[in-house]
Order: sequence, then structure tokens, then C-alpha cells
Amino acid sequence: MAKSKTIKVDYLARVEGEGALYIRYDDGGVQDVKLKIFEPPRFFEAFMRGRDYLEAPDITARICGICPVAYQMSAVHAMENALALQPPPELRALRRLIYCGEWIESHVLHIYMLHAPDFLGYPSAVAMAKDHPKIVQDGLQIKKAGNALVRLLGGREVHPINVRVGGFYRVPAPPELEALREQLAEARTLAEETVRWTASLPFPKFERAAADQYEFVALSHPREYPMNEGRIVSTRGLDIDPGEFEQHFREEHVSYSHALHSVLAARGAYMVGPMARYNLNSDRLSARVLQLADDIGFPPFCANPFQSIVVRSLEVLHAFDEALRIIDGYRQPESPYTSCEVRASTGCAATEAPRGLLYHRYGIDDAGKITAARIVPPTSQNQKTIESDLRLMLPQFMHLPEDELRNRCEQAIRNYDPCISCSTHFLRMHLEQGAGELCR
Amino acid sequence: MNWAIISLGNRFRGDDGIGPLVLDKLRERFGRALDCIENGGDMTQLLEDWRERHVCVVDAVVLPGRAAGDIIRLDGLADPPLETVRTTSSHGLDLAEAIELGRALGALPLRMDIYAICGENFATGAALTADVAAAAGRVARSIAETLVQQTGGPFCTSNP
Repeated sequence: MAKSKTIKVDYLARVEGEGALYIRYDDGGVQDVKLKIFEPPRFFEAFMRGRDYLEAPDITARICGICPVAYQMSAVHAMENALALQPPPELRALRRLIYCGEWIESHVLHIYMLHAPDFLGYPSAVAMAKDHPKIVQDGLQIKKAGNALVRLLGGREVHPINVRVGGFYRVPAPPELEALREQLAEARTLAEETVRWTASLPFPKFERAAADQYEFVALSHPREYPMNEGRIVSTRGLDIDPGEFEQHFREEHVSYSHALHSVLAARGAYMVGPMARYNLNSDRLSARVLQLADDIGFPPFCANPFQSIVVRSLEVLHAFDEALRIIDGYRQPESPYTSCEVRASTGCAATEAPRGLLYHRYGIDDAGKITAARIVPPTSQNQKTIESDLRLMLPQFMHLPEDELRNRCEQAIRNYDPCISCSTHFLRMHLEQGAGELCR
Repeated sequence: MNWAIISLGNRFRGDDGIGPLVLDKLRERFGRALDCIENGGDMTQLLEDWRERHVCVVDAVVLPGRAAGDIIRLDGLADPPLETVRTTSSHGLDLAEAIELGRALGALPLRMDIYAICGENFATGAALTADVAAAAGRVARSIAETLVQQTGGPFCTSNP
């Protein structure tokens, strides 16, 4: 009888998604991989029905404490798509600015507090801080600058309350933005050091074979690195308007997960997130970011998911450049928002959350009440790819001792910064004996 | 002395909202004279909020053998941390780890009084359990007494 081993991680996270990991493998290879999300369904799409369309950004912001702006952005764009409402360029710029703040907050938290300890051999950021206090302090300083942006534009840094369909409830006066400039510029210097530091980390070698290459999916905009707008494109030729999303992407239920798995109807698993954005849009990063990437020898196409930490750091730096550019060119809008007559309609939109493409669709009636809602978050889109990463990686790492193998599996999940694995340093893994099977 | 009162927890998740409720009561009494900070789950922000200050931190906990509404007061800089059970969104740290991180980075407050209030229902959308809600007033009074003892003037108001 073949020697069979089972990797079980009972509790992957305490947050937006609660999940576990199960891997069964033997000398012949990996037999089963399941990323189990067991958090009960949260029914956001259901309980939004009957609510006013203006409430959508504030309700959906509550889905995530780390990327509420992403939910707000997809919600307002979808509602504006339904109502054919087009905010002026000044408001568009402010939306991009608050998104910069969220990218900085979210990415830096992941880089420093969650992912970096994996590479340096620490069980947590706290343990890492004892040996590398300067590194962690720098991370907190960078994040603080992102917080300041979100606080100014959103009213507070967690679950902001100032975003509305058509614009904002209040827009800042130019001096308020200028007051942030020095803090952002100082944090940008630290962000540049972060890029050099992440690029120096020891990365496990992992490249998929030609037959298993990722299909990267992201927004793409002709003139800017994508955040709020663009077509949905992929490395295998997909090029669609967000309004066509549901014709090309399908959600499937799997018995072991409460989160739907999203697949490309034509080809199956795909990857969204920083690597997808970067691989499809790297030429639209700021000139200074491109120069730095070139200086450190980081390629314009990255296929090793363990290097996603470098891509995140490049996106942080770009967010600072973009934020400073917007602040320098800011003109206060005449009105904080635009509005229009409500009518029965349907609208959809996709924006780039820190973790990847976030799709929203809403139907509203003549009174502006929501009649239907659909939300496809990035983590659900990446689930299948995370599982296939583990399936493909494990044969390369089976020689590792048990603890290292467990850590490598968790690290592979953290490459995606999924909400479900946000606290995976608390994981326990154990090998257990299956019926009649010999376990180590 | 530079004081701040920090609540941890989410108003919309049952007993997790006890910290924000205590803050509401303190705001009623002291108004803008007292810096009240509602932290919804970003523990790294604590390191900024409590830097070089005296703070009271109010949080909900689940402790075996304790009843809902029980209040445990700790010296956050000296006592061993309680095992808290958080239900709010976060990506990594809890209060005990934030303290440990602050210690590693030399970023602890000058004084930290922790008020841990035992809760039992943390369901999304649930109201505070009656015994937990009742504890809010006791905690607010205790914090107010501490402030008056420690600072005298600015917090000696005639408000009830």
C-alpha cells in the first residue's frame, strides 16, 4: 500500500474568510488539494435588496476591513454605469487618490506584517520586529501615510464614510491635500527602500511548466496603471468590457467551500491581483518605478508567485507617485458629487482591489431600491489557482522536513494575500494516518 | 498628562461593540476635552495612537468561567495578556501582539489601563447583551475617576 501523507490545516484565518487547508499526497504525487472556506455565507447580496442605491458603497464597504475602498469604488462605478452618470475629471482623480491610499495600507500590511516573516524565517511580524525593528518601523511609517490619505478623503481610515454615488459627500480643499505632501514624500523614500529590500529576499524557485502557465486577468487602461477603470484583459487574449464579465466568467459551488470558485468559462482557473496587473500593465507604471525595477533587475513579467511581494512593493511605490501627481494637479471640484434622476436600470463595474479584480453588478428600480446585487471578489477568483499552485509545488518541496513543508504551503497561500489566510501564522498542521495507510 | 481612551471592536457585532459604547458615554461626559479613539481593527494604528501617552484600552473578551458583563482591569504594561477572542476584521494582530510589537519597537504608551469586558454574543447585527451593556456605565465611571485622580482640572466637570 502506498505511503500516504495528509497535510491538514484546521483554521486558516480569523477574518473575512475562515478556511482550512487539506492536502493528501503520496510517493506517486499529490492526490488531493482542498482550500476549504468554511465561514458561513454572509448574504450581503441578499440583504442589499430593497436598500437605497446610495447605500451600496457604505454597505459593501463592510465586507472587508482592509479593502473597503475597493468595495466602495466598484459599487459607485456600477451604480453610475446603471444611471449613465459621469463624474468630472476632478472627482475621478480623487477616487484614484483614495484608492492609492488603500493600496498603500493594504499592500504594506501584507508585505511587512504577513509575508516578509515567511522569507526571513520568523513565525510572525512580532518575532521579526525583535530582530529587525527598523524594517517593521519603516513599514508602519509607510502604512501611516496610506492611512492619512484614506482618512482625509474617506473620513476615517477603516470603513470610510465619505464616498458616495456620483463622487464624495465632501471634497478636500487644496491646502488639506498639500498638507499631506511632505508625509507622502517621506514615506515614498521608505517605499523605495522597501522595493530594494523585498527584491533581496530569498525566493523559493517555482515556475509552472508550459502546459500549466497562469492565465493572468486584470483591468487594463490605455493611459494609466489600472485602478478604477479599464477593459478586462488576460494573457491569453481575453479583452472584454466589464459589462461582458458574466458572459466569460462563471462561479461554481464546490462541496468543501462556502466561497464560490470563479473560473473562465472557456479555460478554467486564472489569477487576479498584483502579479496579473503588473504582467499586463507594467509599462504604465510611473517612470521612476520602471527605472527602479530596471535598476534591481526585476523583469517586466513575473511568473514566480513567491515574488509577488516585490510586485506589491512596486505597486506601493507607484501609488505614492500617483498620489503625489494627483495632489500636485488638484483642482477642487465645483460640487463634491454629481447626481441624476433615478430610473430602473442595471449596471456593473470592475475595479482593481489590492488583491485583484472586484466585480459588482446591481439592478435598481424606479425608486432607486436595489433589486439585485452580485459581487465577485478577488479571493474567490484565485481559489482554484491557489489549489493548483499547491498541487504543482508540492512535488518540488516534498524533501523538506515536516515543519518546513507546512510553512511552505502556508507561504504559497500567502503569496495571494487572500483574506482567508490573513492570520495563518497561527496555523497548526498535523500529519494523520488514514485508514490502513502509513503516515509519518 | 496626555490621555487617550481607545476602544477596540465593532459596533455592529454584538458584544464586540462594548468598547465603542464606553467611548460614547465618556464623550457625553467630557466632550472634546478627552481624546476618544475608536479602533475598528487596525492594531498597528495603536502604536501611533498610544505613543508617548497615557491610555485606557477598552475591549471585549471571551473568558471561560466568566459571566457576560464581568470586567477585568489590567495593567497592560505589566500584567500578562488575556487571551482575547476577536471577531472583527483584522489582518494579523490582536491587542496582546500589538503590545508585544510596541515593546519590540520601543513604542509602548507611558501607561496602559486595559478594561476587558466579558461578552458572549458576537454575531453580526446582534445587539449588546444586557449584562454587557450594563457594564459600560461602570467602566466609564471607573475611567472617569482615574482621569480625575490623575489629571485633576481638565476632567473635573460638573456633568453627571
